[in-house]
Amino acid sequence: MPTAVAAPALPPDDSDAARFARTTFPIDVRELGVQYSLRFTRKTTFRTSFARLLRPGGQRAFWALRNVSFRVRHGEALGVIGPNGAGKSTLLQAVAGIIQPSEGVVEVTGHISAMLHLQAGFDQDLSGRDNIMLAGALMGIDHRVMEEREGSIIDFADIGMHIDQPLKTFSMGMRARLGFAIATAVDPDILLLDEVVSTGDEVFRAKSKVRVHQIVSAAKAVVLVTHDMNWITEFCTRAILLEKGGIVAEGDPATIVAMHVERSEQRRREKEAETARIMATAPPKPSEA
Amino acid sequence: MQIVHEAPVSFRSSALRPGPLGLVTQAIREVWSRRRLIQYLVRADVKKKGSDTLLGNLWWVIDPLLQMVVYVVLFSIIFRRSQPDFPLFLFAAILPWKWFGSSIGDAVTSVVSQERLIKQIQFPKIVLPVASVAAGVVNFAFGQIVLLGLLLLMPGHLSIHVLWIPVIAAVQFLFTLALALLTSAVNVFYRDVGNLTRHLLLLWFYLSPALWSFERFADGQNNDVTRLGVAILRLNPFAILLDAYRTAIYGRVVTGADGSDTFTPGQVPDLLALGILALISLALVAGATLLFKRLEPAFAKVL
Repeated sequence: MPTAVAAPALPPDDSDAARFARTTFPIDVRELGVQYSLRFTRKTTFRTSFARLLRPGGQRAFWALRNVSFRVRHGEALGVIGPNGAGKSTLLQAVAGIIQPSEGVVEVTGHISAMLHLQAGFDQDLSGRDNIMLAGALMGIDHRVMEEREGSIIDFADIGMHIDQPLKTFSMGMRARLGFAIATAVDPDILLLDEVVSTGDEVFRAKSKVRVHQIVSAAKAVVLVTHDMNWITEFCTRAILLEKGGIVAEGDPATIVAMHVERSEQRRREKEAETARIMATAPPKPSEA
Repeated sequence: MQIVHEAPVSFRSSALRPGPLGLVTQAIREVWSRRRLIQYLVRADVKKKGSDTLLGNLWWVIDPLLQMVVYVVLFSIIFRRSQPDFPLFLFAAILPWKWFGSSIGDAVTSVVSQERLIKQIQFPKIVLPVASVAAGVVNFAFGQIVLLGLLLLMPGHLSIHVLWIPVIAAVQFLFTLALALLTSAVNVFYRDVGNLTRHLLLLWFYLSPALWSFERFADGQNNDVTRLGVAILRLNPFAILLDAYRTAIYGRVVTGADGSDTFTPGQVPDLLALGILALISLALVAGATLLFKRLEPAFAKVL
């Protein structure tokens, strides 16, 4: 089945597509810092807020990312790897424009399509079909375009008859497939993927690999966050290793992956030693005493 | 088909934020360029509200009607306080109030409930409360069918002045929009706002001339305390709005010195009061928009 992604039309010069083509770095991140305030978190109430006011001190904020700089060229697929809590998802959210930098600059030229939350879907009460249209409206894409592509999205996601059921009845796999199909069907200049590619069945994984390849070979920019190292080495033209909110290393995917594996192994060994040390201080069981 | 994007092709985000004027014009541009999204959110909302009940969107007509019946029973049978054509007297005020109450109720949670969307896609968040308020308009419009029915049943009230309804509704829309923007943004940071709002709305309803009117306030007692009370209650924006609706739809009933009611059909509402309220509401919308835009960058981090 031919997908719209593979056939870019020749645009006039002042068009969005031309602006994307002209820019040297579709993604340009300079000295990015993202700070989270601990004063307001989910479900803050007046009470907790007053309590915090009365008991000052303690940590008020933390930096999820600090001094992060990188650029992505046309036709590049950048892999972002790192341990849990390194700031990978925050980085994608900042590139997507979802969260604002606390310091530094994020400059993006080109239309972004992002699939940032695994199996999240958009509106649980609406049908799969309505969710396609809602996603289009949110991305600012004309409903006629979405109507035209609806069929190929449903085919690609392999949802079949279920498409008219509310999203809440969908399995995790179905939601992930639908999300991926929508994100990649809208001819994005820039595709951001967060840990979506490792889900789904074998056939879908193969299909999605082909599609990401198509987007990269159409000289578009892709940023990929995943724990699946095969994807990084297979797909990405470059990789960065993120740890504790900062870039530790940047370069050839194979090298970066090897480095990440080694550092993870080292951390694991350190943790084991730490665990063993703590266990050694534990008193013997009462029954044995 | 070539994709025509409503979203801007590039952005540059940094810790720098535009000034107050820049933020307000940005908000206006966002709402205008994403009107299709708002339209879509309204349609989705209408669809969802209708889909889980047997009678579907018919409830929009039945709901204010039933509420009116409850109050008619309560007041005319139990409290024995009635007015000529009491159903119309009540309905003229209950319908706009329901519009306000449900719009604010929906708007308060409009941002918080779309947590998933906000963390997945970059879009102007201001469309969420705006869509809630816009969906309320659809609701109000359906209610006009019932109103028309009641007017035809009680034709003595019907006059050309019902054409003031859209004008009064426009002022109400502005006022509602301001409160919707304000509460939806603050609720992200303090979830208490959502709980508090329900009770405040109820209190506000009783303090507004919906179930009563100023003409018969305190059974015609005329002392300093009553006058002061009336003066304070008159400052309520909904005193102006509901009074205007009732004047245009129901007309006026004035009890003369001999206790007999003089009755007039629909009339021109107090346009000066409406005009002042419109100006105040406009200023409130600007202020609330500014607050919303100031808080917006933090939404994705807090949710």
